[in-house]
Amino acid sequence: MSRPPLLVVLVAVLVIALGELGGATLSQLRPATARWATARITANAPAHGLSGTPEYDDAVRERAVFTVEAGLSFFHVHAEGMGLVLFFASTLVATVVRSRVARRLLYVLLTLGALFPLGYLAYALAVVELGRDDGVALAETWVLSPLGLAAIAGLIGLAITLARPSEAR
Amino acid sequence: MTTASEPAWRLPPRAVLLAAILLLLAAEVGGASMARYKLELGRWARTEMLARPAVHGLVGVRDVDERILDEALFRFDAGLRLFHMHAEGMALVVIATTTVAVTLAQGATTRRALVLLLTVGGIGYPLGYLLWSVLIPVLGVERGKTVAEWLLWLPFGAATIAALVWLSALIAVRMIRR
Repeated sequence: MSRPPLLVVLVAVLVIALGELGGATLSQLRPATARWATARITANAPAHGLSGTPEYDDAVRERAVFTVEAGLSFFHVHAEGMGLVLFFASTLVATVVRSRVARRLLYVLLTLGALFPLGYLAYALAVVELGRDDGVALAETWVLSPLGLAAIAGLIGLAITLARPSEAR
Repeated sequence: MTTASEPAWRLPPRAVLLAAILLLLAAEVGGASMARYKLELGRWARTEMLARPAVHGLVGVRDVDERILDEALFRFDAGLRLFHMHAEGMALVVIATTTVAVTLAQGATTRRALVLLLTVGGIGYPLGYLLWSVLIPVLGVERGKTVAEWLLWLPFGAATIAALVWLSALIAVRMIRR
């Protein structure tokens, strides 16, 4: 099996490493993360619609902290998965795709796609800074959707190459 | 499948591949067993917990005890599910990262150290979830977690993270030198 370019390999290993670090942070620093998120939510009170009524504000804060933790958890599982997807898919590209231009294009798409999990970090940050709904919408529109589409396009391109023996070597 | 001008992957040692495949197998068997023997596993855990009321803080009041038992059984089940998922993922991580290490690490000592850390860390870490589940009925949720943390999660997780950071640095240096 051929090896993809070093940059692609580096991104794959880095994304897996970040996924592992994210998991460790999630389990070892959960209370600290929740405290940080709560402090940021309080600092951005208007964005979260905090009203000054303790019961209502606590419920809003709890929901936002849950969303932040969910973002970090999604980051952990997606980073582990997408790092592996990039490793195996780019190895297939290096091995079977004949055209150099097609290979480069697929490497770019798959590498961008492997950065998809970073969207969940953006999601967690955006939620505390902009409020739950606006933060989720921002991360989905500007980070998760484009990077996710890149991954899908890269995999479709690889599938087409594999389905057409004339394109593969 | 590889042309002479292109760099090729080197396979990691057979023992590493075997360890990863065995972990994958354990994950699959674990997942299947969780589904097939869900009731039996739950019943075993419940019996063990009822035999140790002091460990779980059971007070003999049905309403209170049932809530405690439900919570512990939920964690017991979560531990098994996390073992299943982490074992599947880490087996693939071991195969991918040791392939990168044996292909790109240049010194034999560096290569061996990286392969060892990635393999031992990757195989040992998911077993922590299995240990946690087994310990929950015997030691309780929190004490079981502490034991699993110190025996498996911290040492093996740290080994994997250290090796991945080392491997990333090594690839980056190689890219800069080219």
